[in-house]
Amino acid sequence: MRYELAKTIPSGSIASTWFREAVRGISVDDAGALYVVGDKRVIILEPSGEMRTSWSTEVEGLCVATDAKGQVYVGARGRIDVFDKKGGLVKSWRDAERLGIVTQIAFYDGWVLVGDVTGRCIRRFDESGTWKNDIGTGGRLRGFFIPNGHVDFAVQADGIIRACNPAKHRVERYTLDGELLDHFGKWGGRHVEDFPGCCNPTNLALGPTGHVVVTEKAPPRMKVYDDAGRLLAHVGSDLFDPNCKNMDVAVGREGRIYVVDTARLRVLQFEPREVESPGSVDSTKDLIEPTPAGGVTP
Amino acid sequence: MNEDPSRRDVLKTAARGAGLLAIGGVAVTLVRRAGADQDWEIDPSKCLNIRLGAVGMAACEECATNCVLPLSAVRAVNDYAKCGRCCICPGYFDVKSDTGKDGLPTRKLCPRDAIKREAIGEIDPYDPLNNFYEYVIDESKCNGCGLCVMACKEPAGLGSIRLEVRYDLCVACNRCSIAKVCPEDALLRTNSRGA
Repeated sequence: MRYELAKTIPSGSIASTWFREAVRGISVDDAGALYVVGDKRVIILEPSGEMRTSWSTEVEGLCVATDAKGQVYVGARGRIDVFDKKGGLVKSWRDAERLGIVTQIAFYDGWVLVGDVTGRCIRRFDESGTWKNDIGTGGRLRGFFIPNGHVDFAVQADGIIRACNPAKHRVERYTLDGELLDHFGKWGGRHVEDFPGCCNPTNLALGPTGHVVVTEKAPPRMKVYDDAGRLLAHVGSDLFDPNCKNMDVAVGREGRIYVVDTARLRVLQFEPREVESPGSVDSTKDLIEPTPAGGVTP
Repeated sequence: MNEDPSRRDVLKTAARGAGLLAIGGVAVTLVRRAGADQDWEIDPSKCLNIRLGAVGMAACEECATNCVLPLSAVRAVNDYAKCGRCCICPGYFDVKSDTGKDGLPTRKLCPRDAIKREAIGEIDPYDPLNNFYEYVIDESKCNGCGLCVMACKEPAGLGSIRLEVRYDLCVACNRCSIAKVCPEDALLRTNSRGA
């Protein structure tokens, strides 16, 4: 399997004209519409790429998600604002203790799951905003190890949570009650299937067939793993600005992948292509050149 | 003819000498004070190793090699308030080296081994990924080469390590030899000690 760049959104220019300072989060609804949040603005795009609507928000949004009713949740510092489809504010959740910096929102079976950077965990609320429990706080570090300042996760169809633990260089699986089931991934600076640098992967989304799509920083890359953690495909760093960090990713029903270029303030759309002879990914293809010998051995 | 100087002449000569000495002393003091008020410092928005946006390139090592002191007055400083206390710090480890049996990089980045790494807090001795780490720069070894600064910079790290001219070490040359060769013109003369 491989992925090809189908288009950039918006197209035609190096820098985005829709956002001036930051593009923070994206999500795709069941109908294929793309939701983009950045600056103090939410933009909804048709599957074709045309803008459907947009509205301003009171504070800068950091992530966006849509629930089964079509309500748009925008996470921000200290709050979550819930809008109807046309941008009317329905309600605003504020919780000084449990909503520090909200960088991801997902839904499962009536629960609202919120990634909170301040608590370094995923918080489970019911639809009214009542807190139930935290996920990811059970280890010795009492939370995800996130020097990159971003909690990202996604929920499988069976309610199992896949979450990035960047400084541990892992993708972890949790139950809704917070039990760590297992994880895949390890640090490695030489082979593409490993996670390089201080803290990768930074962002995560799940494909319709259970594939785990992650993005990395320094160098910026997008990679697709199967459910067991085997690398299926990767998109190299040449398509992204090298200064990108915490590139949000979303996957549509048909397997189309959207990745935010946080430096050029645009979204890259990738289409899956089946290759004739599927096999293991050539892990030396994107090999990082080692530095000349001479460093000090720890 | 009496060639012996009179008492008045001796006093005149002595007074003249004392006057000259006083004027010279004041002049030297003024020059010293003027120099003492002037310091060299690094502009982080210009320095190639510190400034954002300059990624994927080799570190500039001019500060390490051009200072008049045997060990440069420019040193790396770790800002603990910004440090992520990562297990695998790109400023400490050579993150392009091979993976060791412990899952960590096999080589350090600093050629002078000037960064110390120590687990802090509640320590898990079996899993290095399960600890926070503190990185301390050994200033007796650091020569300000900037390798760690370039590697720790965003987006790879958090940019907690930066280069600084140490005022207690800098001899405040009138024309800093690093400033003369700095490719980014990043060394500035300031009145940071206050007039």
